[in-house]
Amino acid sequence: MNAIILSAIWGVAMMFSGIFLTKGEAIRAAAILGLVVLLGVNIAELYGYRLFNIDTRGMLSFNSFSLVFNAVLFGCTLIYFLLSSKDILKVGTNKAEYFSLIFFVLSGVSIASSFNTLLMLFLGIEIISIPLYILTGSDRKNLKSNEAALKYFLMGSFSTGIMVMGIALIYGARGSFDIAGMNTAMQQGLNPLLLSGLLLLLISMAFKVSAAPFHFWTPDVYDGAPTVFTSFMATIVKAGVFVAFLRLFDGAYGSMSDKWKLVVVIIIAATLLIGNITAVFQQSVKRMLAYSSIAQAGFMFFALFSYNDLSKEGLLLYSAAYCLATTGIFAILIKMKDYTFDGFNGMGKSNPLLAATNTIFLLSLAGIPLTAGFTAKFYMLSSAIKTGTYGWLVILAVLCAAVSVYYYFRVIQSMYFKEGDSQRIEVSSSFRLGLVVISAIIILLGIFPQILFYKLYF
Amino acid sequence: MPIQYYIFLALALFCIGVAGVLARRNVIIIFMCIELMLNAANLLLVAFSKMHHAAWMAKPAGIASPGADGQLFVFFIMAVAAAEVSVGLAIIVMMYRNTHSVDVNFLNRLKN
Amino acid sequence: MGNIIQLAWLVPLFPLIGFLINGLGRRSLSKGAISFIGSGAILASFIVSIMIVLQVKSPGFTASQGVLKMFDFISVDKLIIPFAFQIDQLSSLFLLIITGVGFLIHVYSTSYMHDEESEHFGRYFAYLNLFVFSMLLLVMGGNFVIMFIGWEGVGLCSYLLIGFWFKNSDYNDAAKKAFVMNRIGDFGFLLAVFWIIAKVGSVDFSTVFAAAQSLSKTDITIITLLLFVGAAGKSAQIPLYTWLPDAMAGPTPVSALIHAATMVTAGIYMIARSNILYSLAPITQTVVAVTGLVTAVFAATIALQQNDIKKVLAYSTVSQLGYMFLGLGVGAYTGAVFHVMTHAFFKALLFLGAGSVIHAMHSEQDIRNMGGLKKQMPVTHITFLLGCLAIAGVPPFSGFFSKDEILAGAFSVNPVYYYIGVAGALMTAFYMFRLYAMTFTGTFRGTHEQEHHLHESPVAITFPLIVLAVLAAIAGFAGLPEVFVENGHALEHFLAPIFAESAKLKHANHLDHTTEITLMVSVTVLILITIIYAWIRFSRYRKTEADTKGLARVLENKWYVDEIYNAAIVRPLNAFSGLLNRVVEKVLIDGLVNGVGKSIQYGSRQLRLLQSGQVGSYILLMVLSILAFFALVFFTKK
Repeated sequence: MNAIILSAIWGVAMMFSGIFLTKGEAIRAAAILGLVVLLGVNIAELYGYRLFNIDTRGMLSFNSFSLVFNAVLFGCTLIYFLLSSKDILKVGTNKAEYFSLIFFVLSGVSIASSFNTLLMLFLGIEIISIPLYILTGSDRKNLKSNEAALKYFLMGSFSTGIMVMGIALIYGARGSFDIAGMNTAMQQGLNPLLLSGLLLLLISMAFKVSAAPFHFWTPDVYDGAPTVFTSFMATIVKAGVFVAFLRLFDGAYGSMSDKWKLVVVIIIAATLLIGNITAVFQQSVKRMLAYSSIAQAGFMFFALFSYNDLSKEGLLLYSAAYCLATTGIFAILIKMKDYTFDGFNGMGKSNPLLAATNTIFLLSLAGIPLTAGFTAKFYMLSSAIKTGTYGWLVILAVLCAAVSVYYYFRVIQSMYFKEGDSQRIEVSSSFRLGLVVISAIIILLGIFPQILFYKLYF
Repeated sequence: MPIQYYIFLALALFCIGVAGVLARRNVIIIFMCIELMLNAANLLLVAFSKMHHAAWMAKPAGIASPGADGQLFVFFIMAVAAAEVSVGLAIIVMMYRNTHSVDVNFLNRLKN
Repeated sequence: MGNIIQLAWLVPLFPLIGFLINGLGRRSLSKGAISFIGSGAILASFIVSIMIVLQVKSPGFTASQGVLKMFDFISVDKLIIPFAFQIDQLSSLFLLIITGVGFLIHVYSTSYMHDEESEHFGRYFAYLNLFVFSMLLLVMGGNFVIMFIGWEGVGLCSYLLIGFWFKNSDYNDAAKKAFVMNRIGDFGFLLAVFWIIAKVGSVDFSTVFAAAQSLSKTDITIITLLLFVGAAGKSAQIPLYTWLPDAMAGPTPVSALIHAATMVTAGIYMIARSNILYSLAPITQTVVAVTGLVTAVFAATIALQQNDIKKVLAYSTVSQLGYMFLGLGVGAYTGAVFHVMTHAFFKALLFLGAGSVIHAMHSEQDIRNMGGLKKQMPVTHITFLLGCLAIAGVPPFSGFFSKDEILAGAFSVNPVYYYIGVAGALMTAFYMFRLYAMTFTGTFRGTHEQEHHLHESPVAITFPLIVLAVLAAIAGFAGLPEVFVENGHALEHFLAPIFAESAKLKHANHLDHTTEITLMVSVTVLILITIIYAWIRFSRYRKTEADTKGLARVLENKWYVDEIYNAAIVRPLNAFSGLLNRVVEKVLIDGLVNGVGKSIQYGSRQLRLLQSGQVGSYILLMVLSILAFFALVFFTKK
């Protein structure tokens, strides 16, 4: 609750701060301060300090899982701000507004992680989406940015239509928007209204997390959007929507009949295959990362497939690992002029620290042991094995992870084994420090993943 | 009137909306079709709200006046739709300024 | 003196430090410093070993004191493998042999290898120290895994040292051969360890041996047979013996240390260590005994016709190892260990003596070109003669007692073993004195150049010879047979706790004293006759150009075993792997791997086209997918 209200307030305040704060540095400081406060109050709530006591009539409920998840996402956003906020300022003239929109998105994420009724889910998702349409199109003179915003907007509102239709059908079948008890309604029989409603809802959520075959917007939007915002969209937003999805499964699809399982399995298989295979042939690292984010979503989807304690921990760890690594890679990518693989040529010599940390991020994304990415993938797959069904899906996932090594290592290969004339990228020492810190966290989580789960149970 | 009529009407509107999105190339018309989809859902929600309320009136049990939240939802959808319209129109205007076109297929630099 | 056993880790530590210093500093250190560090490390280990033996010998010592756990080496689930040392009577005796003989050979090497360049000199001592370290690890290991680490380590060092003169490709081939043959054996060892883990769940010696009684007959037979495969590889038994003669490519001190005194006895040590397992597996015991016996006689026949001084000694080593295995196979564990000890002394002595001769003859190794060296090389001559007497089994030299104990053990199990064994012993006497006579007596047959340079070796070479000669002469008194002196077998009493369990299982089948003495005397007489015959015959040896014929020729060519292995195993294997390379590797595997890569690239190119950039087509694809999902949900059963 603390986070939802404060982030909304901070967002509004940032919006108006444009009147007083004209210097970029001041805006940046305000945003970082706000985020620190946000993280602080969220952690405070984890320890039982609630700033606001509002009766939500059961529409929202905060448990340790959603709070820990929020804390992880706010932490990632904080790192994102520290690394890339200077680049946010460079996108356009409306500097304060970008930060304000990001705070609104965070508000939406906190709603989506703690909803209890479909109304709140809908609002949360929309509060996440609408600011993103704006952020995507924020580079107003750039045709690519325009195109990405248009595509995102059209397809996003189309999926909103589908989601609303789904919710309406579910309401018709049950007379209530509560997600609790939805799975008991499922078991009572196959009401076609409820079945189609749930299917439409599932599809619209799959769209938001860019799972195949509803992923088509992702590469174009991620590619066209200003790179700083791609970084935000691909990481924090995606993980936030996933946690909403997981919560939805808690109530609605929890005791999945084989039918739902089959749908999820098809989505996972398609996502893994399309994401990984299409990424192989990309020439631009940015677009490759867009496809890789689809592929990673396939792995996150395993949490919904297996749906047990291990998968909850796994999703938490996966979100942290994925967000940190991707944020780091994007932070480096933003600094570069050339987004193709060749742009990385010779980076190992010209910028050894950047290249080394970038290597760690890529290794984590590829799931190489001793990195958080490996442990996360391990949790996901072992939770899937625990269900004892669809063993071939796990094998497929491992094979796809092997394919992913190909395109991630292409970057490493460019950095270290190809001669290039890439000029030295001038970065501040705090930027370097940030990268080193992320690498350290990734390796730490790779070795002691339990530290993330500590507050989950106590 | 039986509830099926409303369901069929709403689904028909929804499908018209989807078909419109697929068939048209003018961004503004596509956008209107999406609004049609949303409104089809609104209509359905109101109809269901009425239905649940009538069912409760016949046999009162549990929470007071079920069905009210369905109508409430409609207002939220309208508000969200309004927000989307404002953002969407802004995007369309921005696009028109840069390209002098509202053809959805005009912009396709991002592909593959 | 406190509990020195707690400091047992010092013993392998010194050589390790020596290895590191000499290995890293081989370019910068002087030869003097390298010699000092290399030998000093071993001397330090030797001193600690002596103190350990004294402690072990003291009455208060119990087996549990000897287990020294350093840290957990591997810990997986329930399987915990500690890095532990086990000091007891058996391992401390081996410590003494390894560090003692090792030290002497290091001293010897400082002079023998002095002509090497400084860098190679350092490399040599580094390898040698590493070898001693690995060997100590092997002997001190408290479980099969640590033993295996040492086992592999000595194999590696042996490989490195055989190929020490790596510029000669024949030597490299010999090194590779040794390595491959050893690896075949190691594979058996490894399988045995896995089998033990599967059945017992632990690799600690104490746990495994305690559980031995409860294992099924089949398990124990398989484990012991697999272990024996490992031992046969390392200790050069049929059919894996051919590497040892080729290993003579290495420097002579290496042959003395690794291929005579220590490494090759690792197999005997392992079996003696696991004696309880073997005592419970009579089938394996028979296999061990027969293999040992056949190897002993077979190698002895080959040695009869060899003309290379080191080759004769190499085959003699194979043959003596065969005797040790015979001892193990008939349950005469003490005898086998006793023979390991005496053999370490006299065979090291013989090798070092041979080295001294080779040194004096400027790398001439063919005994047909020697003769009459006793005048120029008195010390070498006397010590070599003592070694020959010891190995031939002439009383009261050491070889007599140890060999006699093994043969007596064999007789008590099966007299056939005994008679064949005696035949081998006679051959031993013959070829050793053929070697002695051709080298030291008669007239010199080499070139004038060589004759001119003949000289006695320096003191660094003669000193180890003298020490070893004394040991070879008197070591036998550590194990006087009961027949002569009541309770005279000090070694048996010392080792009794190790073989206690096996002793209980053994049938009390002691020979009565009359038989024993009769056998002993008759064998001794036979051996003496053989020696005199060989001495007389070969001191009159004249070089002839005539080819040998018949059986002698077969023997000279070592029964053509290498050629048979080549034709039966190596060549078909090469052909087969060539086939695999051409068909499986190039066509199937490459095709598969590249094919997968290519098809993914192709799929990637095609899938990219789905991403057409048109919003309309995206939405159409989405709607179609939605319809497909509806069809799936509504029109599938369940």
